[in-house]
Amino acid sequence: MRVKIKKPTGGQISIALLLLVLGILMSMQIKSVRQSNELKNLEKARAIELAEQINQLRKENVSLRQQIYDLEIKLKEYQDSAASISKTTELLKEELDKVKILAGLTDVEGPGIIVTLNDSKIPSQSNVDPNSFLLHDSDILQVINELRAAGAEAIAINDQRVVSTTEVRCAGPTISINNTRYSAPYIIKAIGDPKILKNSLEMRGGIIDLLKEFSIEVKIEEASKIVIPRYTGVLKFNYAKIKSEGS
Amino acid sequence: MIVLVIALLIGILIGLFIPVSIPQNYSSYVAVGLLAALDSIFGALKSNLKGDFKVDIFISGFVGNTLIAMLLAYMGDMLGIPLYQAAIVAFGVRIFQNFGEMRRAILIKNKSFSKEEKNQ
Repeated sequence: MRVKIKKPTGGQISIALLLLVLGILMSMQIKSVRQSNELKNLEKARAIELAEQINQLRKENVSLRQQIYDLEIKLKEYQDSAASISKTTELLKEELDKVKILAGLTDVEGPGIIVTLNDSKIPSQSNVDPNSFLLHDSDILQVINELRAAGAEAIAINDQRVVSTTEVRCAGPTISINNTRYSAPYIIKAIGDPKILKNSLEMRGGIIDLLKEFSIEVKIEEASKIVIPRYTGVLKFNYAKIKSEGS
Repeated sequence: MIVLVIALLIGILIGLFIPVSIPQNYSSYVAVGLLAALDSIFGALKSNLKGDFKVDIFISGFVGNTLIAMLLAYMGDMLGIPLYQAAIVAFGVRIFQNFGEMRRAILIKNKSFSKEEKNQ
C-alpha cells in the first residue's frame, strides 16, 4: 500500500523557509571551517618554503665554493708562472706555500694515521650515567692535542681542517667543528710520522687508554698517504691587526 | 518535496556567496546546531514515509533542538564540561536510528509490492 503524504501548503512553505536558513548556515559554517584550515595550511606552507630556501642557499653555497676553488687554481697558475721568471719570486712562492700549509689553506697529503672514534656499543644500564659512554668534545680535543704534541703537521676531523680558529665544541648531541655539526663516528686524520703519532696516542695512561675504559670504540690505522682537505671557511680578522713597527 | 530540496540548495548558494562567515568562536556552536537541525530533517523524512508527519511538530523540533543544542554547547564551555559531545552523541544516534527505520519502511514497502505483482 502506498502511504499517502499530507502536503499542507502553509506547512511546506514554513519548512522550506527553515531549510533555506539551514542551507545558509551550513554553507557559512563550511566556509569558516575551510578558512581556519587554510590558516593552518598557511603556516605549514611557510615552513616548507623556508626549508626550500635553505636548500637553495646551500646549493648556491656549493657552487660559490666551487668558484672559489677555480679562482684559486688560476691564482696558483699565475704564481707558478711568476716563479719561473725570477729567483726572488721563486723563493717567495716557496715561503707562501709553507705558510699556506701552516694556515690550512691548501690541500695536503703525506703519511700519517687515521683515528676513528665511535660511541660505546654497550647497552645503557639504569644505574650508570649514559653520558660516560658517549664521545665528548673534550675527548676529541685531547686526541688532537696529543697528535699536535707528537708533531702532526695537518689535522682534519671528518674532513674539516683544523686551523687556528677551529672550534671543537659540544652542540647538543653533536659536536660543532668549523661551525659544521657532526655526530659520531668521528674520523680524525693527521699527517706526520705514523709511528710517533700512533705511539703517542697509545702510550700507557694516555688518551686511548682512558677512552677504552669507557669502552669507546677506537680504531687507529697507519697510512702511507693521507689527503687532508683545505679549510673551506672564510678567515676574517676584524680585531687583530699587525702591530706597526716603531710605535 | 522538490520545493524543499530547491529551498535547501538556494540557501546553500546564498550562504556561499554572502561575504560573511561565522566567527571562529561561534563555529562550534553552529556546528552542533546544524547537527540538531539535520536530525530534525531526518525525523521529518521518516515520519513522512510512515505517514504521521506533522508540520508543527517538525518546526518546533527543528527550532527547539537547534537552540537547545547550541545552548548546551555554550553552557558546556562555560562550565568546562564538553557538553556538546552529549548533543553529538544523542543526535548522531537518532539520525542513524531514523535512517534505519526509513530503510526498513522502504524495503518492506517494495517487498509487499513485488509480492502483490507476483500474485496478480
